[in-house]
Amino acid sequence: MSRMRTPEETKTAMHEVVEEMYDRIVKGEPPTMTLPVRTKNNIGFDKKLGVYKYGKKKSVRDATSLGSAKQLLRALHVVEFIEEMLDAGKSSTLREMYYISEAWGMGKFGSQNESNNLAEDLEIVTKCLREDFKLRPEEDGARMIGNLTLRERNRRGEWMRINARDDVGDSGYGVPYNVELEKIELLEHDIDFIMAIETGGMFDRLIENGFDEAYRCGLLHLKGQPARSTRRIMKRMSEEWDLPVVVFLDGDPWSFRIFASIAYGAIKTAHISEYLATPSATYLGITADDIVAYDLPSDDLSKKDIEALNAELSDPRFADSWWQEQINMMLELNKKAEQQSLAKYGLDFVTETYLPEKLAELGLA
Amino acid sequence: MSGIAQKLASNQKQVAISEFFEKNKHFLGFDSLARSLITAVKEAVDNALDACEEARILPTIKIQITKLDTKKDIIRLVVEDNGPGIPQKSIEKVFGQLLFGSRFHAIRQSRGQQGIGITGVVMYCQLTTGRTTHVRSKIATEPTAAYVDIGLDTRKNKATKANAGREIWYHEDGTGKEHGTEITAEMKAKYQKGRQSVWQYLRMTSIVNPHAEITFVDPEGETHHWTRVTERLPTKVESIKPHPHGIELGQLQRMVAESKDLNLNHFLLNNFSGVTNRARKELCQAAELEGTRKMKTIKGDDVRALLEAFQGERHFNALPVKLLKPPTNCLSPIEEMLIKKGLSKTIDSRFATTLTRVPSVTQGNPFQVEVGLIFGGTMASDKPVEILRFANRVPLMYQQGGCLLTKAIESVDWRQYGLEQAGGKGVPKGPAAILVHLASTNVQFTSEAKEALADNAEVMEEARKAMLEMGRGLRKHLEKKKKMAKTKEKFELINDILPAIAEKSAQILERPIPELSGSITKIMSAVISESTTEWNKETKQTDVEIVLFNYTSRVRAYTILATWPEKSGATMENNETGGRKEALGVWAWKLDSLQPGEKTTISYSLGGLERGDWTDTEILFRGSQDVIGATKMDEKFLQEIRRQEQIMDENGATTPQETKNEEAAEPPEKKAESVEEKIEPTVAPPEGQRTLFGGDV
Repeated sequence: MSRMRTPEETKTAMHEVVEEMYDRIVKGEPPTMTLPVRTKNNIGFDKKLGVYKYGKKKSVRDATSLGSAKQLLRALHVVEFIEEMLDAGKSSTLREMYYISEAWGMGKFGSQNESNNLAEDLEIVTKCLREDFKLRPEEDGARMIGNLTLRERNRRGEWMRINARDDVGDSGYGVPYNVELEKIELLEHDIDFIMAIETGGMFDRLIENGFDEAYRCGLLHLKGQPARSTRRIMKRMSEEWDLPVVVFLDGDPWSFRIFASIAYGAIKTAHISEYLATPSATYLGITADDIVAYDLPSDDLSKKDIEALNAELSDPRFADSWWQEQINMMLELNKKAEQQSLAKYGLDFVTETYLPEKLAELGLA
Repeated sequence: MSGIAQKLASNQKQVAISEFFEKNKHFLGFDSLARSLITAVKEAVDNALDACEEARILPTIKIQITKLDTKKDIIRLVVEDNGPGIPQKSIEKVFGQLLFGSRFHAIRQSRGQQGIGITGVVMYCQLTTGRTTHVRSKIATEPTAAYVDIGLDTRKNKATKANAGREIWYHEDGTGKEHGTEITAEMKAKYQKGRQSVWQYLRMTSIVNPHAEITFVDPEGETHHWTRVTERLPTKVESIKPHPHGIELGQLQRMVAESKDLNLNHFLLNNFSGVTNRARKELCQAAELEGTRKMKTIKGDDVRALLEAFQGERHFNALPVKLLKPPTNCLSPIEEMLIKKGLSKTIDSRFATTLTRVPSVTQGNPFQVEVGLIFGGTMASDKPVEILRFANRVPLMYQQGGCLLTKAIESVDWRQYGLEQAGGKGVPKGPAAILVHLASTNVQFTSEAKEALADNAEVMEEARKAMLEMGRGLRKHLEKKKKMAKTKEKFELINDILPAIAEKSAQILERPIPELSGSITKIMSAVISESTTEWNKETKQTDVEIVLFNYTSRVRAYTILATWPEKSGATMENNETGGRKEALGVWAWKLDSLQPGEKTTISYSLGGLERGDWTDTEILFRGSQDVIGATKMDEKFLQEIRRQEQIMDENGATTPQETKNEEAAEPPEKKAESVEEKIEPTVAPPEGQRTLFGGDV
């Protein structure tokens, strides 16, 4: 997001949504809300941006069924709630909004998921970001360690200079939920690449083994499916510092999805893929070949794993031949392996053998 | 009945009763220790229900079973009723006299058609424990109750009595008992639980006897109670004479031999139903017998010739002799409403539908099929449905698979009605119970055990038709439930959500709240009916209200139809919208112009019903646009109602009329006239309770 919108701009954008409903009632029609279709069938590659974005398929949510009508009513309550926050200069978490909705009577949310989805719906139709709406995510951002320096504006409004190697403890630098320019500035670095890591155990292993210094990299803990701010800061570092990003995940179908959301854009947030996705990111491992090549301890694929892999085969983001090969190979092996299964060969195997070999293939070591 | 009676009659002279009993215990119902107990309970309870019914008393029956000796399986059974009681001198006859009554002249529906009778229980006790059966009985006109121990002298094949006396009979609360009978029997038997148990027998009995109050104290001391749900006693049934189509050779021979009629003409007119004067003449001609023949002269070949004429094998004018159908007022169906009440009180469910078909005739025997189906509630949805079979209000608990009634259920493809059924055949699965009751003057069983009904095309056809109609009812109910849920949602949408959307959007935009009617019409785009059927405590009537909303943009016209329990004697009250009767139990109102956005209300009350008799009104419609909450009128359904109605009218009214017409058309004939003058039954239908050994009381 190049810049945030002013409260007035945000309100105007939201009013357009409200007007669509109001005007339909005045015309004697059921009120509606028009949204792009948010499934893998409606994402396409945007050549200019290098990421996957929603296509042209629209769905009209109209109030002819009780479920849709309730959604419209909820959207109105959310709009009203956001306006109140904008006026009062406050913000709330998505979870707080979910609880506040208890007071909305018929417009109350049935689950946290519903309120999250509706917030995204509003982002999509208004082309605002949830930061514009003063809505914060629940999940905290990632942790980072490495010789890189940035400036963060703290809650007193003062800028603090932080080096993510020298000014932090073993848990690293905690990425805040808002990583936009008014909050974070990237200052300087002395690293060659950024490595994003799926599990906390592996992240800590690399730190303990001093991998960041030995291989001149920044380490980033993704915490499973990465939060928006994690993906956003990766994107900024990659672009502003022109650094390669490599992604080190478990070897299973869900890791493939994590990678796709990092590199190509997530289906759920395809409206803002250009702000979140890092098209230059590379999948380091664990690949399906690694399971064989390193003879890693593995588990059989579950029914759900197989379903996920099959779904990925028809996902446009995995359409290239390398991914098709990996997915098919995993299906054939009927095996998956965790990052930490590398410990089979000792605690240092990952830093002394596996990663150097994999990075060498990419020309990074 | 006559089968066993004859067998006993012929055997009795040659073998000791104990030997006979031993040989035939499988069909007397005493073939296992568990079944013996059920049979004993059954005989005692059937007697109690029959006696109460005859005396027009609402039965209150208490059954208590105690284990006396667990090792030797000795059980004490006490059955107490509030029936009219038995005069002292008759007690012996009822419980032990070894006499054979001639029963076959009186034909009517009766529980006692099954089993061996209470004497069998006395005999079983005597044979298994050597103990006598204690009987206590009081009639209303005497101040004290008579008691006696009845036993059996197996050598002399004679009943014995001992310790006879009189006493004041007190209830537990110290008040005196007015009338009733109590038997205490001690026998070798086993108490079991499950589908073939005393409990199940009593539960089933209570379903088909909703007028009875039944209390059961089981051997563990637990009390099971089935309450009375109606004050209405079963209709009193009339005895009818046998119909020529249903007569067998042996029976005809006996009737001829025992006849005190003047001649064949009298015999035919006096002793058979369905034989008009014209038929009498034609039968004689077909059998080539002179009507004036004395009965004594009618022997072997004559009887056979007569039977052939009866059965249409000998013709008159090249055609079988046409006979009237037997009257059907000898049947006592339970009636739809009472079955529903009986089922609903016994089994927890969401939906109950019942159906009583009009009586029909097979081989000269009137019969009537009744069915009931309950669905939902706490019944298991992954098990076969429970099948409840009854013949003349008596539960059938054994040989389910071989029974005609089960086959009728299995022959229906229940999948189309919302139950699971592998391959559309066999007993369906689902949270349901299906009841089938056959009321008939002559129930045909597959064997002497009398637990399964024998195949009969006509009965099968009636039972199947009843099932299909009931199945349609279930399907409609399930569809309606789905639609109602949808309708409820739509109402919530237009009544709550849409106004909230309008208000909130207007408030955010700071504009006036828009008018909603246009949106409502577009959203609903339907005509909707809502109906309520509620018992009104003050007026003691059932109030019905039907509301019709037109949520379309055009004027609509409909005929709205509602079902109501006309057959059960309900009356239509305060029906200000008027309308007209469409068919039996279906009322219709014509609504010519239902304006867009408008609603119309039809309301009326139903009189002559008890609380809980009528709780759900089915709404139907005729018209082009669908009505949510109502079913489109299936004209076939109406035709079937009208057909049944017609049959009912014929049964009720036309029999005497037809006879009259025939006689008027006939040229006067001297002999016939003289015969007519003297018509008087010579073989009086026996009344009262009867047992295997004790004739009429």
